[in-house]
Amino acid sequence: MYKYVLRRMFLAVPVLLLSSLIVFGLMRVMPGDALTVLMGESGNISEKELAKVRKELRLDLPYYQQYGLWLWQMMSLRPGDSLLTGEPITVSLRKAIPVTLELAALAMVLGLVIAIPIGVLSATRQDTASDYAGRVVAVSGLSFPDFWLGTLVITFAAIWFHWIPPIGYTSLWDSPWRNLQQFLLPAAVLGFRLSAATMRMTRSTVLEVLREDYVRTAWAKGLAGRIVVYKHALKNALIPVVTVIGGQLGVLLAGAVVIETIFALPGMGRLTVEAILYRDYPVVQTNVMLVAATLVTLNLLVDLTYAWLDPRIRYS
Amino acid sequence: MPTQDPKGTYSGVSRRQFLRRAGGTAVGLGALALSRPISKAAAQGASPYTEWIPANTKAPKRGGTLTRASAWDPPMLDPRLTQSVGLYQFAGLTSNRLVRYAFPDEASGAGDMSLKGDLAESWSASPDNRVWTFKLRQGVKWQNVAPLNGRELTSADIKYCFEAYAKEGVQTFNFKEIEGIETPDKYTVRLHMQTPNVFVAHALAEPISIVFSREVLEEDGDLKKRLIGTGPFVLKEHTRKVRAVLRRNPDYWDKGRPYLDEYIILMTPDDATRKAAFRAGQADFVWMASPSEVEAIRKTNPSASVQAYHNSAVFFGLAMSQDKPPFNDVRVRRALSMAIDRQKQVDTVFEGHGILGWGVPYMYFQEKPLTAAQFGPWWQYKPAEAKKLLAEAGHPNGFSTTLFYYEYWPQMTSQVQLVQAELKKNLNIDVKITKLDYTTYYGRYVESKWEGLCWGFQSGHAVGLDERTYQYMHSKSTKNFFRVNDPQIDELTTKLRQTPDPKEQRAITKRIVDREFDQVARLWMPYDNGFIVAQPFVRNHASIALRRTDGYGSPHIARVWLDK
Repeated sequence: MYKYVLRRMFLAVPVLLLSSLIVFGLMRVMPGDALTVLMGESGNISEKELAKVRKELRLDLPYYQQYGLWLWQMMSLRPGDSLLTGEPITVSLRKAIPVTLELAALAMVLGLVIAIPIGVLSATRQDTASDYAGRVVAVSGLSFPDFWLGTLVITFAAIWFHWIPPIGYTSLWDSPWRNLQQFLLPAAVLGFRLSAATMRMTRSTVLEVLREDYVRTAWAKGLAGRIVVYKHALKNALIPVVTVIGGQLGVLLAGAVVIETIFALPGMGRLTVEAILYRDYPVVQTNVMLVAATLVTLNLLVDLTYAWLDPRIRYS
Repeated sequence: MPTQDPKGTYSGVSRRQFLRRAGGTAVGLGALALSRPISKAAAQGASPYTEWIPANTKAPKRGGTLTRASAWDPPMLDPRLTQSVGLYQFAGLTSNRLVRYAFPDEASGAGDMSLKGDLAESWSASPDNRVWTFKLRQGVKWQNVAPLNGRELTSADIKYCFEAYAKEGVQTFNFKEIEGIETPDKYTVRLHMQTPNVFVAHALAEPISIVFSREVLEEDGDLKKRLIGTGPFVLKEHTRKVRAVLRRNPDYWDKGRPYLDEYIILMTPDDATRKAAFRAGQADFVWMASPSEVEAIRKTNPSASVQAYHNSAVFFGLAMSQDKPPFNDVRVRRALSMAIDRQKQVDTVFEGHGILGWGVPYMYFQEKPLTAAQFGPWWQYKPAEAKKLLAEAGHPNGFSTTLFYYEYWPQMTSQVQLVQAELKKNLNIDVKITKLDYTTYYGRYVESKWEGLCWGFQSGHAVGLDERTYQYMHSKSTKNFFRVNDPQIDELTTKLRQTPDPKEQRAITKRIVDREFDQVARLWMPYDNGFIVAQPFVRNHASIALRRTDGYGSPHIARVWLDK
């Protein structure tokens, strides 16, 4: 197993290198310049001043040198400062990552709490009212866009209950109760969307597994329905579901910018999008590489989970 | 299909049955929805809301926290490097200027443009308006925060600050007009200007002309992280994308003020969330663009107070590359102007609560906002005449051009599309629209090398007449984004800043505006008027012309109090 893990980590290197080239290249190709926005709000950008700042920030170097410099910074875990704010990127990440992690974790938990039971119920009661209800919920989750659902939720919470989650992020350690209030609704909105795909996949795989011979044998032996479904069928049905969950978790960890914007949470999504809009090259590049590394790691963890779920799967 | 569960019984609804029932329900719900009358909240005639909320006559109460959900979040705190409203929504409270405009509780009305002393008690100009002397208040202290530690403000601080503004950043153009600064004593600052300028005090009263500290700049090398001033509030916390917390400065020189203990700005980028925050009581005042939004809020918050704000100028319009064909021909510019129905934009996009659009604040040349007739012949909607004029200019079959813009708010896209449709219909001008992200738009716009059309802007912060005329319209000014290049306007704007008599100033300003309209030098577009909506216990929060309390007019918050 450890050889497999080492091999996968070794293979991650070219993936990450390619990602770094793509993100670096794309940011340079995009029109517009961080310095223009930074310095020119009154139109007083003299070429001399721009050149001076460009030199200070080493943006006057040839691209290959800039790339090399940045790569070295990344490898030595010193990604530098934001062009826009001057804040060290590590500081910005230290503020944004916990928000995104918490939102992702809560959304995932809520999503699974909705998806798995409903998916199983739908499969075991196929073509009944509960099955149709579950499928309607799943299709709704897939159809409703984040921004629409989030806006509806916050607007109607204010109209009906004169309450919305407290605005102004508070960390879990400062005030757990306020933090929970801030995260519950956005996590529920995100979780609802995530649960849709998971629900459908769960239903589909459970239906397939329920038709297997060994399950028929279990029924024939007179085992209780709950034991047949949850102990025998579900574990095997979960392998494709874990793949879906892994992909969703990766997307969540990249940052849910729409939900973060609506609920005023300062997570990775907003950080990255703002950096893209303002051409804050170091921030975008660092964030993208972080997400790439996270996804590579997640994929590996998902693969390792298969082995736990299905003892027949062994890596060498 | 109905399934057979392991116990061997059929159960459930078939797919066909389900679809029939679901379809029937959907049709029923649809019919129900359509049968309800859709009420259109279109303001017809005068707004039912007051235009001015005078200062409350009760004795102000001290204490309490004022909270606002804000769309703006400054990328940095350095006033040399940004003029963004995101910074000045609170920098105007941490810091003072030498001079300021009247606050709502001192103002005679929404159009009051009188100057008051801020850090300066008095000021005077030499007869040729080249030397300006400011007498500082004595005993003004910097906030009791390291490294200033509450020391007294002196004339040396002002000199340092103004020289720093002139040296680098976005305000160099203004401050480079100062040839030299003298500080004959601790409380006297004397500015020697390069050329005569009667508006020096007004320039120093601009919201962005705050006085910052030498010690912070020298220690940090910049002002990006710390904002320490002499203002009524101390910046206790600024967490990007989260909040700014300001606490009362106990050593503020204006004794007894501010009334509030605290002012918290919650960075809330989403408009629906800001409104929800107001409904839920998490925000104490909020800006709204349209009457229908106000009516919706008042359904849940009937006791909210509403001020119908009236803009005295607009900030956006069609900028034309008028140094190049075809827009260098005044007949083409006039034709475009006559082919656009501005009133329609006011009625549809802004639900009747908007202004037709002009660039110089009206109170500098007349008492009341402009009527449609006062714009002159080239600004009336006359598509047939427009077509004739365009033909005379050599374009009987129209032409193709481009327009780029950034969507500052959703209404702008509607306006851009209306203009595109009208230019096509009335003049056969094909306008290819490109919507850009902020950085690309901004960079292209201020570079001033673009061709065709642009939905351009003049800066939103400027209150003073000099800024709105000379700075934005003189052909040599680096802020002349509309690329105005008219010798008469150059001459008049230069003359204006050398004219001390107020009556003559008004007359010259009127001539500048008339010339601008005649030459269609800047093709202004309608703009919303908007509303300030506040919780019923907020007092003295009214917004004045060009100084919205939630934006560049933030210094007003020093006079706000909570009646609860």
